[in-house]
Amino acid sequence: MKRVAGMAIGFVLACVLGFAQDGLPDLPGKAVTMRACTACHGAEMWSSAHRSGDDWDRTITAMVEKGLTINDADYAAVLDYLTKALGPEKRVNGAPAPGPAPAPPLAAAEPKLVELPGKSPLVTIRLVFTTGAASDPSGKPGLASLTAQMLGNSGTKALTYKQVTDAFYPMAAGIQVYSDKEMTTFVGETHVDNLDKFYGIMRDAILNPGWRNEDFTRVKDNQLNALKVSLRGNNDEELGKEVLYNLIYAGHPYGHEDLGAVSALQKMTVADLQAFAKEHYTQANLIIGLAGGYPAGFAARVKKDFAALPAGPADKFELPQPQAIPHNEATIVEKDTRSVAWSLGYPINLKRGDPDFAALLVVQSWLGQHRESGRELYERMREIRGLNYGDYAYIEYFPRGMFQFEPDPNLARHQQIFQIWIRPVEPPNAVFALRLAMFELDKLVKHGITQADFERTRSFLSKYVNILTKTKSSELGYAIDSAYYGMPEYNSWLKAALAKLTLDDVNNAVKKYLHSDRVVIAGVAKDAAGLKSAVTSAAATPIHYNSAKPQDVMDEDKIVEVWPLGLKADDVKIVPVNSVFEN
Amino acid sequence: MLRSRLAALLGALCLLVPAVPLRAAKIFPYQYVQEDLPNGLRLITIPTDYPNIVSLYIVVGAGSRNEVEPGKTGFAHLFEHLMFRGTAEYPPEKYNATLGNAGAASNAFTTSDFTAYHTTFSKEDLPIILSMEADRFQHLEYPEAAFKTETRAVLGEYNKNSANPAQQLREALQSTGFKVHPYSHTTMGFLKDVEAMPEGYGYSKEFFSRYYRPEYTTIIVAGDVDAKKVRSLVDERWGAWKRGTYKAQIPVEPPQDGPRRNHVDWPTETLPLISVAWRGPAYADDTVETAALDAISRLGFDQNSPLYQKLVVEDQKVASIGADSPGNVDPEFFQVFARVKDAKDLPAVEEQVKAAAQLFLDKPVDAAKLETLKQHMRYEFALQLDNSEAIAATAAQFVALRRTPETMNRYYDEFAKLTPADIQRVAKKYLIEKNLTVVTLTTKAGGAK
Repeated sequence: MKRVAGMAIGFVLACVLGFAQDGLPDLPGKAVTMRACTACHGAEMWSSAHRSGDDWDRTITAMVEKGLTINDADYAAVLDYLTKALGPEKRVNGAPAPGPAPAPPLAAAEPKLVELPGKSPLVTIRLVFTTGAASDPSGKPGLASLTAQMLGNSGTKALTYKQVTDAFYPMAAGIQVYSDKEMTTFVGETHVDNLDKFYGIMRDAILNPGWRNEDFTRVKDNQLNALKVSLRGNNDEELGKEVLYNLIYAGHPYGHEDLGAVSALQKMTVADLQAFAKEHYTQANLIIGLAGGYPAGFAARVKKDFAALPAGPADKFELPQPQAIPHNEATIVEKDTRSVAWSLGYPINLKRGDPDFAALLVVQSWLGQHRESGRELYERMREIRGLNYGDYAYIEYFPRGMFQFEPDPNLARHQQIFQIWIRPVEPPNAVFALRLAMFELDKLVKHGITQADFERTRSFLSKYVNILTKTKSSELGYAIDSAYYGMPEYNSWLKAALAKLTLDDVNNAVKKYLHSDRVVIAGVAKDAAGLKSAVTSAAATPIHYNSAKPQDVMDEDKIVEVWPLGLKADDVKIVPVNSVFEN
Repeated sequence: MLRSRLAALLGALCLLVPAVPLRAAKIFPYQYVQEDLPNGLRLITIPTDYPNIVSLYIVVGAGSRNEVEPGKTGFAHLFEHLMFRGTAEYPPEKYNATLGNAGAASNAFTTSDFTAYHTTFSKEDLPIILSMEADRFQHLEYPEAAFKTETRAVLGEYNKNSANPAQQLREALQSTGFKVHPYSHTTMGFLKDVEAMPEGYGYSKEFFSRYYRPEYTTIIVAGDVDAKKVRSLVDERWGAWKRGTYKAQIPVEPPQDGPRRNHVDWPTETLPLISVAWRGPAYADDTVETAALDAISRLGFDQNSPLYQKLVVEDQKVASIGADSPGNVDPEFFQVFARVKDAKDLPAVEEQVKAAAQLFLDKPVDAAKLETLKQHMRYEFALQLDNSEAIAATAAQFVALRRTPETMNRYYDEFAKLTPADIQRVAKKYLIEKNLTVVTLTTKAGGAK
């Protein structure tokens, strides 16, 4: 089979104009580039390459790791030269060359456009409205989410839902919808062969929805089932995490479940959804993201189509500080289940793009990189003690973590929490597991991390960020988030921030943002009353092993089994599972 | 075929495949290199046009299907965990530190037919990762205490899965439909066996020496790589691995002799679940059987099928419904799975599912619909291959069945040839009463609402 121009992308065709004898354009920065990039190998290694700025950035970073010594000013000059002189090739049809999208201006009351054009025959369309559960009107929790689900999973004015699914079927395409506190996202992916037809339906889903009653009944039922059955009934881990968020943000615009509450959803009408859409699906709230091999003129067409939306206003999230947590507190959801799931955490005044973000990201990754082994919590709780399947830490909202390894983009929030997730534990070891997590957190707060841990984790994150953006769709999602946060392209921003970090920065971030008291704890357990008395008692809760352990572990266990949880009877609430998300 | 498993594996499908016309002769658009080392190890290198990243999948042809001794269910999966317990050269701390420095995303999973170890990382780290993996496949060492600790992590995994009633329904379906073949248990194993695992140290060593051998193993390297360089690295690090002698004797399930039923009581609130399943054939890429059942699963039960439209969209008695066609080493179920809104509708839903299946026996499908499906299949496949990891993962699923990516091309060729008459013939052979197993799950009387 003929494959493929692809391997040669960027490595074969030469540019046309302005070349000197060596074939490289004479632009500022050439001299320093020649010096830096021919010290170890010849210019022929790279002089016929064509890459995006981001790819050149990765290349130079890789060279630094191989031993290239370069100061910051020269780094910038080389990157600038390579990007301009050896940027991606112009596409045959004259569309803009692929490259990092400039952060769009966010002030204008017209849709923002984020573009990642490329050669792929696949096209991703991400339409992100910067509205969500934080804009749910009082008494109508879940309205933002239900509106999004209705638009993405129904018929349009022109087509019934069946006609929509029939039209999508041969293309193997569809619209994926998800929403959070500040963002509502519609993702469509299609082969370029089908782009016109697919886009036409996706556009109409938002601009010309059918609002049919039968669609509404079905979508509302689905949402009620997602809440009652999928979350409350069948997924103790996600339940614990969501309960934690709702406890921490009680009385705050983030303080209710995105999906809503059962009683409120039952009362919602199509008119509620229409009113929400009219007010919040505005041009000022819209970020249009496009990636892949869409034709010239497509972006302008999308933008023009969506000018049919009301111009404004943009949602303004007035987010107070979450209420202070004076001391540790716990809520145990009582449910007939085999084991005990824990989540714990508290607000942190830090979001992506902030100066300390990279430092705290290192801490989080060291403590509990999602679904990776060898991190502190995983090591101490699962590997050494066999307590459960895994234990992780977070500084950004990461729903559906039991189903996916990498987080979805477009869940941006201006306020985040620090969180520890303890996967289900056998009931006899449940309190020990909680104590151990609190003990580990305390150890971190008191001692910080070591130079070796810092360097290893930094190295990990500098490369792992490439995996986060391994698909065009996720790269586009991150670019949209960066536009929303008002920060540069995430991948290079994070690498640059990590490169500048010192151990002191990291351990200062530990001191500034983390503490081992004033923690909110959420549990899901069958014997809630027994658990409550155990967590509020000073009595030891020893771990039960099935094999001999090294002396240092046994010694540590003696400390952990009586580790004070700082919980009095009044600090621990028990709620029956059926009351959760009910009102 | 492979659909639900693939979807679960790959998560949401995203974008970017190579510029190959979809009507190209072969569905898998990458030119791969397949080579066998003298010791029987197979290497498949798939250079892709995605820059910088390399994805390594190591597929061992042993899964829960290989758990033939009584009391030892779940060992293939336990073994997947033990593979992270280290060697003399790379104790777990060093192993994890190396992965950490490489910024690698690493994990593993076990299915009924195979176990896969996968790592995705930056291309400059290929030598160290290949070397470290070679070390643990050849020199794994774990003391009994570490073994026992790991069995508790596996119990923890059972526990977190057990909160999901669909998992329990699946367990009941397998144990009802299979009595002799190891497909009678899921990859997690029976709970009593999982609880008894701590006593199985000796058996775990036996399992390793049987199956963790070059002739059972295929290495897939996809991404920004050069096949020659990969080969020389693999020769250097994996060449000394000794071939084994064990040949698995998997019991053959006798033909089913009549319909079977089972029911699961669930302690808490859930939607009622139903599985209507027929014993099907083993995966085949040289006949239309697998392709025909795959076509039925889609034409009969996909989102735009008449049944889905009736139950989910019009009557709204069912929250979701879908079918999974068999694609395993040995004969497995053709299964229709539905989440029903009210338990009183379970009998009617069961009848409607059976009636929808019966239509495929009664008359040939509409030729135009079949053509639309073929188009859907090709686009679906193309949309899947949007990054090097997805390419390696997709190849691994098929390599586990026939030990070559070529089976993807053969399978889709069979699909392209499929006629309405083929579909009817295959339906008549498998979707019949005597092959049927039905399992339901509801909240038990007096259980929390």
